[in-house]
Amino acid sequence: MSDIAAKAAGEVAVKDNLTEDWLSVIIGVLVFALALFSLGGTDLLGWAVTTSVYTDIGKALAPVAKAYAGLGGAGALLLTYAALLAVLGAGVAALGADVRKFALRFTVVFAIAYASWIVGSYAYIAAVTPAEQQKFGIGWSLKLTNEGGFIVALLSGLVIANFFPRFAEWLKEAIRPELYIKIAIVILGATIAVTAAGRLNLASSLLLRGVAAIVEAYLIYWSVVYFVARKWFGFSREWSVPLASGISICGVAAAIATGGAIRARPQVPILVSSLVVVFAVVEVLILPFLAQTFLWQEPLVAGAWMGLAVKTDGAAVAGGGITESLILAKAAAEGIKYQPGWILATTATVKVFIDIFIGIWAFILGYIWTNHIDKRADKARPSEIWQRFPKFILGFVLVFAVSLWLAVGTTPEIAKALPAAAGEANVFRVIFFILTFFSIGVLSDFRKLWQDGFGKLAAVYFVSLFGFVIWVGLLISWLFFSGFKPPLAS
Amino acid sequence: MSESELREELTTQAVEPLLPIEKKLIGWSLGLGLALLVVLIALNHFVPVTL
Repeated sequence: MSDIAAKAAGEVAVKDNLTEDWLSVIIGVLVFALALFSLGGTDLLGWAVTTSVYTDIGKALAPVAKAYAGLGGAGALLLTYAALLAVLGAGVAALGADVRKFALRFTVVFAIAYASWIVGSYAYIAAVTPAEQQKFGIGWSLKLTNEGGFIVALLSGLVIANFFPRFAEWLKEAIRPELYIKIAIVILGATIAVTAAGRLNLASSLLLRGVAAIVEAYLIYWSVVYFVARKWFGFSREWSVPLASGISICGVAAAIATGGAIRARPQVPILVSSLVVVFAVVEVLILPFLAQTFLWQEPLVAGAWMGLAVKTDGAAVAGGGITESLILAKAAAEGIKYQPGWILATTATVKVFIDIFIGIWAFILGYIWTNHIDKRADKARPSEIWQRFPKFILGFVLVFAVSLWLAVGTTPEIAKALPAAAGEANVFRVIFFILTFFSIGVLSDFRKLWQDGFGKLAAVYFVSLFGFVIWVGLLISWLFFSGFKPPLAS
Repeated sequence: MSESELREELTTQAVEPLLPIEKKLIGWSLGLGLALLVVLIALNHFVPVTL
């Protein structure tokens, strides 16, 4: 059976030192830089398409800036697609991929993913408050907000992966969830900075609490899961290390980094990664709704919980996005209007903190393995820390730092114009989230769980995740983030 | 090595006993993690979030 999940996770495209990681930095920073032109009065991204909640589909799409209203919704959508195709096409060409193949498949991916987003914005799915229902003349709605479109995109991908595997295989050239989410996280740096600038004290407190996430993910989670895999399930060291890293740190990236560090055969962490994606999907479909039901009065606990419990960057950060919209909707229905951005910022902060230390943890494991367990000539070297460092974090930090400086260190005029500029960049962040959700769905072949051998891997994952990781993550999130809330919207 | 061979290996692999260095790694990680967690909880208590 084909295994595009494993292939996608394992094919670390590299050409002339350009990796998907660096490509995400380049594209994310490019979007941010173009958005900044609007600070000087030149709106270069105002044509990007946005989707509003609708009952009349003719009114669903529009360009983000009124100055481009003449384009109409369809024109904005086409232009957005063309721009993404051009930029991503150039990017994958630089990585050495087949651009024609990518272009054709990306067109299909974009069409299905964005159609899912439009479906999710239908008022019967997205309208939240009674006032909104009244505005659209409807008597009921699923109250998923228009970010319910993420769920629709994920489900679309799941249907393709599990019922149309040949089609999923055909799409694989454009199924790049790691690239899409990393670009989105780089762009997210601007939104987080704009959000944080209003409440620097709260933001810095959040940052400090991110440290707790590192302690938990690396030291507590990892050691327990490794022990469970080795002692209870009898896995070898070679399998247990990537498995423990995938379950406890951040999924695919950690499994591959630590697997490489202990000199495991390359196929081992790749196989583990394909399982990580399947479980991340299960988490994204369950945890945000649990958070909405039980944690809506503790929004930042919910945000941190997503960062700690959901594995893989894409699923976690996108799950934080869904959680934010669900909780804001629930709070709004109760008459509380929180400022948007804080829940997602908390998830992203926790996740980025965890990611920062992947290289160091991989080196520690590599050092122990190559010096004490499987003594060999190619010992772990400190330079591997940099090799395995997720470079997209540099893009995130750069965009965050520049945005924060513009918000608090320049003129009031610039500070006032910055949210609109960040908002235009954010339109692309949302589109990359949609592409991520759809891609994760396409990679999630649930039939794997019933394959020989996989059952045992899945059992470790299931026991560790649902018996330990999720609940300890909730406890830690509660300990560090309970009692303080996002600022209220003015 | 194909995926099916790897899956086959998963069902047949011999048990490798935990080495002392692995026990040390698990013990130190967990111990350090719990100790740091206590320190962070104390810090969280004495340096509360400022809004």
